[in-house]
Amino acid sequence: MKKLKLNLGPQHPSTHGVLRLILELEGEKILSCEPDVGYLHRGLEKMAERLSYIQYLPLVDRIDYLASFFYSELLCRTVEKALGIELDKKVCMIRVLLLELNRISSHLLWIGAYLMDLGATSPFFYTMREREMILKLFEKITGQRMMNNYFVYGGVRHDIFALDDIECIINTIEKKILDYENIITENPIFLQRTKNKGIISKETGLNGSITGVNLRASGINLDLRKNDYLYSDINYKSIILETGDSWDRYKARILEIIESCKIVKQTLDYLQKTSGLKQNLINPIGIKLPEGSFYSEIEAPRGLASVYIKSTGEKTPYRLKWRTGSYYAVNLLRKLLINEHLNDAIAIAGSLDIILPEVDK
Amino acid sequence: MVLHNIKNIFNDITIDGDKLFVKSNIYQVLNFIKNNYHFNLLKEIIAIDNKDAGIELIYHLYNIEDDENVFISITTKEEIESVSQIFNSAIADEKEIYDMFGINFIGHKELKRLYMPETWQGHPLRKDYVEEDARLNWNEKT
Repeated sequence: MKKLKLNLGPQHPSTHGVLRLILELEGEKILSCEPDVGYLHRGLEKMAERLSYIQYLPLVDRIDYLASFFYSELLCRTVEKALGIELDKKVCMIRVLLLELNRISSHLLWIGAYLMDLGATSPFFYTMREREMILKLFEKITGQRMMNNYFVYGGVRHDIFALDDIECIINTIEKKILDYENIITENPIFLQRTKNKGIISKETGLNGSITGVNLRASGINLDLRKNDYLYSDINYKSIILETGDSWDRYKARILEIIESCKIVKQTLDYLQKTSGLKQNLINPIGIKLPEGSFYSEIEAPRGLASVYIKSTGEKTPYRLKWRTGSYYAVNLLRKLLINEHLNDAIAIAGSLDIILPEVDK
Repeated sequence: MVLHNIKNIFNDITIDGDKLFVKSNIYQVLNFIKNNYHFNLLKEIIAIDNKDAGIELIYHLYNIEDDENVFISITTKEEIESVSQIFNSAIADEKEIYDMFGINFIGHKELKRLYMPETWQGHPLRKDYVEEDARLNWNEKT
């Protein structure tokens, strides 16, 4: 049969950004896949070498616009570690609360968008409705819906409020999750498109450096929250599934939202009892990190995110390197799509929760 | 640290905390560490341009069972063996480092530009990168 080269993207509605997949087809079967990225490259690592630490802080929210709290936490945590700043427990709890709300909103968007990729339009409206509540809350607390810029070196911008609203939102989401489960999880069409499709085995996942929910759905217990100092007083359960197909990745995210709701409730219990805010803020002008290299990591919604800073004692980093989860997920598509049908390509690529600004940096 | 025995096998390695400094044979060192110590996740490869000292590559490995990190550092000027045969994800990292630092990875099958256009000159994250490129000033021409 004659071979055909097909460009999927860059402007394709289901690529969530600008991703171009160069597919080689024989009939409907995919022979090879080559992801082409870089359409959103902003040179964030190069910019870091020019900007001071406080100038760079608002920029890191843009690395992953759906999980911006995670990246600002990552930079704040590295600078705090380098300067030896310790955080008060209340500040830690506020950060955990917002991180987990952010994780819920990110997973909610994924569920809606993924179902849209598969051709089901209505779940998108339902999940966006719930996500909107969280975004409105973020706007109330931080002043911004998405690029929040709320964490600062040594603390948070101001004390948290609207705790009753958060409680109300969490209760609503916990109820609505049951609705999603009723509509989506056992839906025969959804099962047909996702069950036993795009299976990532333990070995493939590890070898391709896949992390986060995608790896946990394949049965590997790698959850960085267990070593995270922010989460030291919090009880939660890592979601580990077995098969590692698209359906497992969906189910893992649903279960993770439920788990995140429980974490938020624990932080709310603490925050409702404590008043006042003790911060260890530092003068942001002219922050200088001591000479040496500093590394920290966090469990972001799309896998392990980390930052490595090499400092020579100047006002700007000598070198700053980001590690993002989606970049490795995109590269796994080379292997994952081979011998699959073209109509499954979107269903599989979508299930990895790839977000392109994070890939291109 | 679990890796202290490695000095008996490769004699040009120095250990400092969780950092290993390797002078040559990065392929064999990584292969040995992966197979004998179960460091089966390559989290990332970090490249740093240390000007005259060359470009430092830091391979960040992780052992899931024992929850242990190790940073393996090697310095090179222009080229180095590719480790994509050991870790599939290194294909991605090495491509990015080639684009940003111009390191040639021997044995890498598709080494080409990743973020920058194919006709781009120079490697942006190198410290000797010329920043006064005419193509960057398109905004100020008028």
